[in-house]
Amino acid sequence: MTDFPILSVITWAPFVSALVIMFGARHRPGFVRWTAAAGSSVSLVLSLWLYWAYDRAAAGFQFVERVELVPALGIAYELAVDGISLLMILLTAIIIFAGVFASWTVKTRAQEFYALLLLLVTGVFGVFVSLDLFVFFLFYEIAVLPMYLLIGIWGSSGAVRPQGIFGWAFGRTGVGTKEYAAMKLTLYLLFGSAFILVGILALYVAAGSQSFSFLTFERTTFSPALQTWVFLAFYIGFGILAGIWPLHTWSPDGHASAPTAVSMLHAGVLMKLGAYGVVRLGMGLLPEATIDWAWLVGTIACINIVYGALSAMAQTDLKYVVAYSSVSHMGVVMLGAATLTESGLNGSVFQMFAHGVMTGLFFALVGLVYEKAHSREIFKMGGFATMMPGIAAAFTIGGLSSLGLPATAGFVAEFLTFLGAWTSAHSWWLFPAVLGAFLTSIYVLRVVRHIFWGPPSADPRFQNLPDAQGPEWVAIGILVFVIVLFGVIPGIAIDPVDTATVPLLTRLGVFP
Amino acid sequence: MAALSAPLALELGTLALLVLVLLSGLFGPKGSALPARLAFGGLVALLFVAWNAQPGASAFGGTFVVDELALFAKRLFLASAALSVLASLGGGPGPVPRRAAEYHVLLLGSLLGMLALASARELILLFVAFELMSIPLYVLTGFRKREDRASEAALKFFLVGTVSSAVILYGLSFVYGAAGTTEMAALPAAVDEGHPLVYLGLGLVLAGLGFKIAAVPFHMWVPDSYEAASAPFVAWLSVAPKAAGFVAVFRLYLEGMGVTALAWVPVAATLAVVSMVAGNLMAIPQSNIKRLLAYSGIAHIGYMLLGFAAMSANGTGMVLFYLVAYLFGNMGAFFVVEAVGRSESSDQLDAYKGLAQRSPMLALSLLVFLLSLGGIPFMVGFWAKLYVFWAVIEQGMYALAFLGALLTVVALYYYLVVARYMYIDAPVRAGAIAVPVSLTLAIAICLTGVVGMGVYPGPWVDGVLRVAGTLFR
Repeated sequence: MTDFPILSVITWAPFVSALVIMFGARHRPGFVRWTAAAGSSVSLVLSLWLYWAYDRAAAGFQFVERVELVPALGIAYELAVDGISLLMILLTAIIIFAGVFASWTVKTRAQEFYALLLLLVTGVFGVFVSLDLFVFFLFYEIAVLPMYLLIGIWGSSGAVRPQGIFGWAFGRTGVGTKEYAAMKLTLYLLFGSAFILVGILALYVAAGSQSFSFLTFERTTFSPALQTWVFLAFYIGFGILAGIWPLHTWSPDGHASAPTAVSMLHAGVLMKLGAYGVVRLGMGLLPEATIDWAWLVGTIACINIVYGALSAMAQTDLKYVVAYSSVSHMGVVMLGAATLTESGLNGSVFQMFAHGVMTGLFFALVGLVYEKAHSREIFKMGGFATMMPGIAAAFTIGGLSSLGLPATAGFVAEFLTFLGAWTSAHSWWLFPAVLGAFLTSIYVLRVVRHIFWGPPSADPRFQNLPDAQGPEWVAIGILVFVIVLFGVIPGIAIDPVDTATVPLLTRLGVFP
Repeated sequence: MAALSAPLALELGTLALLVLVLLSGLFGPKGSALPARLAFGGLVALLFVAWNAQPGASAFGGTFVVDELALFAKRLFLASAALSVLASLGGGPGPVPRRAAEYHVLLLGSLLGMLALASARELILLFVAFELMSIPLYVLTGFRKREDRASEAALKFFLVGTVSSAVILYGLSFVYGAAGTTEMAALPAAVDEGHPLVYLGLGLVLAGLGFKIAAVPFHMWVPDSYEAASAPFVAWLSVAPKAAGFVAVFRLYLEGMGVTALAWVPVAATLAVVSMVAGNLMAIPQSNIKRLLAYSGIAHIGYMLLGFAAMSANGTGMVLFYLVAYLFGNMGAFFVVEAVGRSESSDQLDAYKGLAQRSPMLALSLLVFLLSLGGIPFMVGFWAKLYVFWAVIEQGMYALAFLGALLTVVALYYYLVVARYMYIDAPVRAGAIAVPVSLTLAIAICLTGVVGMGVYPGPWVDGVLRVAGTLFR
């Protein structure tokens, strides 16, 4: 099977199904959905196989594919996976598969919706598998742009309108509407990509090599001054996507306004893409700057954890709670990376995966609740567990993983990260991290109790609501299964990740 | 077909075509489509000739040359003129089809000026060619003579344009005074001597050329003239004269100069920054798509000046590539504007509401053009911006590249606003927009250019680098 271009197939399968949908499925919604499901299941099955076939003993980049694109400039279509991207590909495949089923009920302009969604996923896969930084950037842009239309057309405007002094100032900007959220998100991310592009070009020119390949850059030692500012450029550029404070504000607005599958994909996978970029390009290529700036990355991550959790506590809109919890959890990811320890970095990557699945599950469930109850206001709903026991159970499991209960994926991730923080050069990082976990349990349990397990609401709108149905169970089932599986047997994820993090840390000089 | 080596072939051909179109207008019936068709056919034939021509010829003792740069520019002028004429072939309202002969004669006259300009290696010839190019443009801007705003725009354009011509001429007189000759081949030696009058003269000329290429702060005529004139003409106005201006800039400031050209880096960089910032910011509040594209065009001039500021073969080559990218992207956008404008009789953004549901292909085309202008991958505009940044980073000017990259985000904001009108807002009127066949063809050509070069820019990049390399020999 060595000649089979498995990475290309995983990457382009959604794109092909997007083309089929765009040109072959006008006014046939059933065909649209099944084509989307087929495309995403091809990716899922192959990425499972890839996960199994990756040679953990050999480590390093495997399944390499290389085609020269612009030989004069050294641009090549070069794909490969290592332990980190392996896990990210699996995550992406799971989320998009679940996302297709979770948005089974999209009726308006379904053809365009699925086509854009699958195009976006191709971009995400492409970023995770690209070794050539130029192609990496191209895929990155594909992963960002369709978001504008996806949120702008199929999103929902929140009930929250600006109030008070700032409300007067911001009223005209349209805060809270989907158009505003879509534009804000897109501009923030494009702003980030401008930093990334300049950073990549600067490295290319400085390296003086005729290649954009990651492997070539990895062998080059850049001057400290260049490293310093390029690292910051990457940190800001990718950090915006990873939701670092104070550049995170696009995330709650965007995620709350986006349609279900897009929220799942964006919070679940795209934010990881930012963290992945920092780890792969920032830490992987610029070792000296990484050590110099670790304090900044870690400290801002701590702010993220606590600030995100506090903001989540203050929300009354269910989707905003989940969105702010993403900001908080992405802090854990960045903190783990900043510890520069083996357990911390493993925890960081594991948290990318765990949070991806968890937040995907949350957004899927919030979408279902909204679809049935037409409300996202936590304090108006109540006692839904009797009407929708399946959704309630799944939400509770997701919530427990979110607050880091043992036997869920969230626990493993947080434990490893905290351990890393404690053994790092800045052991005080442990305290904000633990405080964040504590605050998480407050807001998660409060939401779970109010909506699902509390006294039933008297509101006539909330009577006799149905549970999840048909395809929706597929989405929920897979995500819950993965959360528990990776919580009980974390080794299946940590083993391959370790093969990638140890060489990275060795390069940074942490290991001799 | 054998390579054509007569240096003046294209100019004479254009002149013959001009006379032919004039005669067909004089003796043909009023409102006939013949002059337009004749002009289009002739332009396509000339483009074919230009495509097969070989560089190397010269005339009048080396003051008129057909080198790589001249040939590149001539092809660009002819291609854009042919596209513009093709887009207006389909008739429609307005005075253009009614007075087709006048319109096309003026357009060909201006084109003739550009063709001569591209080859000029002598200061007087350069100036005369510039005037021949500019004067018909003033008239064409005011072609809808019964509309007040057209007269106003034409007058404004005319006043600003003549002042800039005077400034150029004044500057050239200093250059002549210092160099002692009007031949541009002697210019590098004169600059090398470092006579202050040369710098004064060239500085004045740069200001004058700034008007022509519409760099800030010499840009005031642009939005008004774009708004007042017909869209196919504006499409051409927004590309060809600016390309001509850049050719003149390269001839005067780079060709054969070597390191002395570096003296102009601060000026070029300042003009570039000011144009990028002002153009992009002023485009934001526009509610008329032509004005929006006008300001965005000013910003694009800033990006091109960025490539000029690199003062290297790579930088110059990238400006040429940018011009080609801009030709397809910007002309395509204006053609869609023409299509919508004809059907809705409005250039306001409101007219674009729900366009994606009324005419999906038209909306997609405009989206592609705008994304290309915004510099999104897989469209030619991305490579254009990328290469310009690249050239600038090569010279160590990281800050300029950063600023440029950040301002593309601003640009994408207002392009996405247009996308919002087309894709997100609900349509106000129902029914598809009728587009004449010739206009569809013009849009399709631009679309092919934008996407084709966006996916496979390689040969074009090699081409422009070869052209630019000749300037630095």
